Amino acid sequence: MAKFDYVLAKTMDDAVRLLNEPDIRSIPLAGGTDIYVAIRVNPIWFDRLVDIQRILELNEVSMENDEVKIGAAVTFSHAIKNPILQKTAPFLVEACKTIGGPAVRNCGTFGGNVSNAAACADSLPALVCLEAIAHLRSSKGQRQVKVEDLVTGPHQTQIEPGELLTHFTFKAPPDSAKSCFIKIGRRKAQSISRLSIAVIGTVDAAGLVNYVRVCPGAAVATPVLFPKVEDVLLGKKPDKETIIAAADQLVADMIESAGRRWSTEYKEITLKAIAERSLTKIFLEDGHHVN
Amino acid sequence: MLINFTLNHKPVSVDAPADITLLTLLRDHFKLTGTKEACEVGECGACAVLLDEELVNSCLVAAPSVMGREVITIEGIHDEDGNPNDLQRNFIDKGAVQCGFCTPGMVIAGEALLATKAEPSRLEIREALAGNLCRCTGYMQIVDAIETTAKGRAEKRNQEKRER
Repeated sequence: MAKFDYVLAKTMDDAVRLLNEPDIRSIPLAGGTDIYVAIRVNPIWFDRLVDIQRILELNEVSMENDEVKIGAAVTFSHAIKNPILQKTAPFLVEACKTIGGPAVRNCGTFGGNVSNAAACADSLPALVCLEAIAHLRSSKGQRQVKVEDLVTGPHQTQIEPGELLTHFTFKAPPDSAKSCFIKIGRRKAQSISRLSIAVIGTVDAAGLVNYVRVCPGAAVATPVLFPKVEDVLLGKKPDKETIIAAADQLVADMIESAGRRWSTEYKEITLKAIAERSLTKIFLEDGHHVN
Repeated sequence: MLINFTLNHKPVSVDAPADITLLTLLRDHFKLTGTKEACEVGECGACAVLLDEELVNSCLVAAPSVMGREVITIEGIHDEDGNPNDLQRNFIDKGAVQCGFCTPGMVIAGEALLATKAEPSRLEIREALAGNLCRCTGYMQIVDAIETTAKGRAEKRNQEKRER
């Protein structure tokens, strides 16, 4: 007998209704790249997969006025080729390029990466830098949660049973913004992040930093912004000295948040290096880092 | 549950459990054992197939989700007369096949690349193979086979153009 059932949702309403049917634990299925790995090692925690892959709205990337919208079932391959994301969030596109290999990127989705909420999830740092908002829908209605708040711990989110993560929105950063994503993995391709960082920022006419966001991946319990690091940079000329001070602040904040652990000896050196490298890239060089 | 889809250019219909992967469907229900089962977590690419012309790891695809879609396995890649096609012949000629376990996935990944990029660079070939592991060849011969095939196909297209 099958250990769980499968049903194809044709529309968003269909999906929400199926996810909320009583007496059957249903979870959404998009690319399957996390679920089919998880059920090999974990006991099966659901009765039915609700396939949301073919719902048109969930597969779209669009921009209206200044707001960019990414459907939850948009794959990383789709994102890499998407002109809106290439223009508004090149560091997010760079992050997508580092996920898995081509076959995984053809299936893996933003909704899956965020709701799986692995500490090493590669789309999260850039989404957090962009202050992206996750849009959730259930039979009770809709709600919006910042991605930074949505993830509450490793593999833990605020998403309730029966809730469908439908899409993400973020305000397009200013045209002058430069961004960078760096990932440290054990090999060049198809690797899991040991540590990563996403940064974005702008300088004003006088060359002083007037906007900056920094979010490391796999450094602390959840992907969050580091306001004290921003404070080190804001209003300053982003020279080598200031960048080093910002990187030191980030390392101090990481240790304050996560404590000294077995991995700290490695992470404090590595995080400092990639923080310096990424901030140098956006403030003193051309921006976009290619991994 | 009943799953209808196109498999290697032919419409098929199969009654299978809802909880199996496309890999199990292909190997156990269709006896298409060219698609290999190895890591089962999407790391090795031995189970790669084309789903609606895109490269996927069949170990991570829900079998019922292929309903109405098109699947091509290694058994569906061949010349019109049923013999190995140019890419497969180049794999043999270049020594890109040793134990052979990764070969179906490598050929599928190669075809997926050549379908979107007629003349890929060696770096692009390596990137296209990033999700396929080979523990025998060291990859060079595989890259050579795909590069040679790309050049051969480009030459053939040019020749056809000249003849027209």
